[in-house]
Amino acid sequence: MKFTISRDALLKPLNLVAGVVERRQTLPILANVLMVLDGEWLSLTGTDLEVELVGRLRLEQSSGDSGEITVPARKLVDICKSLPEGCEIEFAVEEGKVTVRSGRSRFTLSTLPARDFPNVEDSIGTHKVTLLQGQLRRLIDRTAFAMAQQDVRYYLNGMLWELHAKGLRVVATDGHRLAMCSLDSDFPVEENKQVILPRKGVLELARLLQDDGAEVAIVIGNNHIRATTDDFMFTSKLVDGKFPDYQRVLPRSADKVVIGAREELRQAFTRTAILSNEKYRGVRLTLGNGAMEIVANNPEQEEAEETVTVEYSGDGLEIGFNVSYLLDVLGVVTSEKVKLSLSDPNSSALLEEPEDGDSLYVVMPMRL
Amino acid sequence: MRKIIHIDADSFYASVEMRENPELRDKPIAVGGSSDRGVVATANYEARKYGVHSALPTARARQLCPQLIIIKPRFELYRKVSGQFREIFSDFTERIEPLSLDEAYLDVSDSPHFGGSATLIAREIRRRVREELKLTVSAGVAPNKFLAKVASDWDKPDGLYTVAPNQVAAFVKTLPVSKINGVGKVTTEKLKRMGVVTCGDLQEVPIEDLARRFGKYGPRLAELAHGKDDREVKTSRIRKSISVERTYSQDLRSDEELLEAMDTVLEELAERFGKIEQQYLPTKRFVKVKFRNFSQTTLEELLPDRSAPWLDRAEYQRLLLSARARRPLSVRLLGAGLRLAPRNADEADQLSLFEGLD
Repeated sequence: MKFTISRDALLKPLNLVAGVVERRQTLPILANVLMVLDGEWLSLTGTDLEVELVGRLRLEQSSGDSGEITVPARKLVDICKSLPEGCEIEFAVEEGKVTVRSGRSRFTLSTLPARDFPNVEDSIGTHKVTLLQGQLRRLIDRTAFAMAQQDVRYYLNGMLWELHAKGLRVVATDGHRLAMCSLDSDFPVEENKQVILPRKGVLELARLLQDDGAEVAIVIGNNHIRATTDDFMFTSKLVDGKFPDYQRVLPRSADKVVIGAREELRQAFTRTAILSNEKYRGVRLTLGNGAMEIVANNPEQEEAEETVTVEYSGDGLEIGFNVSYLLDVLGVVTSEKVKLSLSDPNSSALLEEPEDGDSLYVVMPMRL
Repeated sequence: MRKIIHIDADSFYASVEMRENPELRDKPIAVGGSSDRGVVATANYEARKYGVHSALPTARARQLCPQLIIIKPRFELYRKVSGQFREIFSDFTERIEPLSLDEAYLDVSDSPHFGGSATLIAREIRRRVREELKLTVSAGVAPNKFLAKVASDWDKPDGLYTVAPNQVAAFVKTLPVSKINGVGKVTTEKLKRMGVVTCGDLQEVPIEDLARRFGKYGPRLAELAHGKDDREVKTSRIRKSISVERTYSQDLRSDEELLEAMDTVLEELAERFGKIEQQYLPTKRFVKVKFRNFSQTTLEELLPDRSAPWLDRAEYQRLLLSARARRPLSVRLLGAGLRLAPRNADEADQLSLFEGLD
């Protein structure tokens, strides 16, 4: 295999592909990126056996010799990154090594044979839809923060995708709070499909969706999901598990409805958070006519207090929350105002945009 | 070599309900939601004869067993019983990892009880649960978590099974892969198509093939196939106190000897408490004295100002001298310690969205 490519064309796809490669691997070859040259098309593949990313690009000079090989991903990225902008890089496989040349620099990298490179087992897709990258990006951006991390309830360490003829709904929850965002669309889907994407798959996929106006094609199978754009093919294993019935935890009897200015609330919470317990982050909300009082205390007996004007009339209520959960929501919602629906100090709160929102957030309170 | 015990209560919620209401014994019962949308959380063994099992929709369970008695779960009660389990476990080891209300891993590698025999400890735990709590638990004893969990299921209910280190190789050879935690129907079926039924078969498959087919889980499967599992027993226990004790080869007689010995004990206490100071607030200080005749006394007092440094030598010395003054005997053991409160005590708990759902 031998070819020449410009550093700048290579760097972006190489970086993204190498992002999938984990620092600590169970198999040595997983530290490598697979490079395949087929005529004028170069593809780069990185995998951690759960998530696979293939980046494809066209050589400007189509005078390459086709072939395939795997090389250490991290080192290759570091070399390409540190070469000067605008330079050309030549790759050549010679006697089981890859030689990388550019100007007066030369690097010889170790390789492992391409045939040993594991590919994610293919399964037949049963559901296919196409949407705009910006639409998918919004679904993920609005909910990903609520995914659990390393929870023993492994099915929470990911995101539920629910595909139906009227659109795509995604849900993430860590057991304390839940985020949901829906896209209305006409999909050629006959049978509803529910799958769970693993956390890493969600985060890697979001990184790829950089061109809001371009399309992304999604294929969902029984064990895998695949997203294809002009430049990438992304495959992730699905989490084999049962996602909790999120419909059951959406509050239905929240009768105390508060509407406040989102940015004002966000700032007030940010400030009170400073004096909340660093680990548990509890704040106390006291609701009265036309105003919400926010109080935080920490073990050092320090106290923060804020009063925010809100639209509310009804019975008073005192309720505690992990302020981070509230801030997470206020950080992704973009409407000028935000609607908070509550019922009592032990029941969940519903946060949403007051009008025509596509997102819904449920936060369980803290006992203070 | 580690010694791990996995304890799993037998049809826990249902057993507690039968204990509370003996009329339910010998009748098929299920604890769970009684509405049509409800699911069975636990069924007793009588109900299981009809095919009723956990996660089964209640409506379906009623079809399978029309005389099934469905009981609304009382989580407060189960939590209380779970705490009583824990108290028994903690008499044998501090290293307890609860998995749920009715299941826990215990690491008894360093336990001094029963000459370090994990099997005897497990037997004693089972006996005490039966006598003190009128419930049965099954126990598995093995060198790691994976095998301990398999073992607790081996003779369930009311069973005890040990996989000794020298039996591991033979044990896994014939162990069906479906017994591996995480290998469900789909994976079992996939493995079967590869000609793999037992862990012994699985050992023969090259790790690269497993990685290709099962992704990240492949290399892990290969380890489990050999009965290898390095996961630690993760304790998240809330300490109530911390203390350091010293037994002396020669009894301490004079005040000077006592005070000098106390200094060393306090030094060690300061070092040990320093490691957990971030999480705990000292509430009381105490000293313990054991006399020549093995009688012992403990004196403790409230720390008046929790923000002041807890290590006050003069205060400990004063406590020590009043404690030893209680008997006209020389002293063979000296201890000093602190009662603790979690630093987040007044923050209390984050409520869960899925309480009772999972």
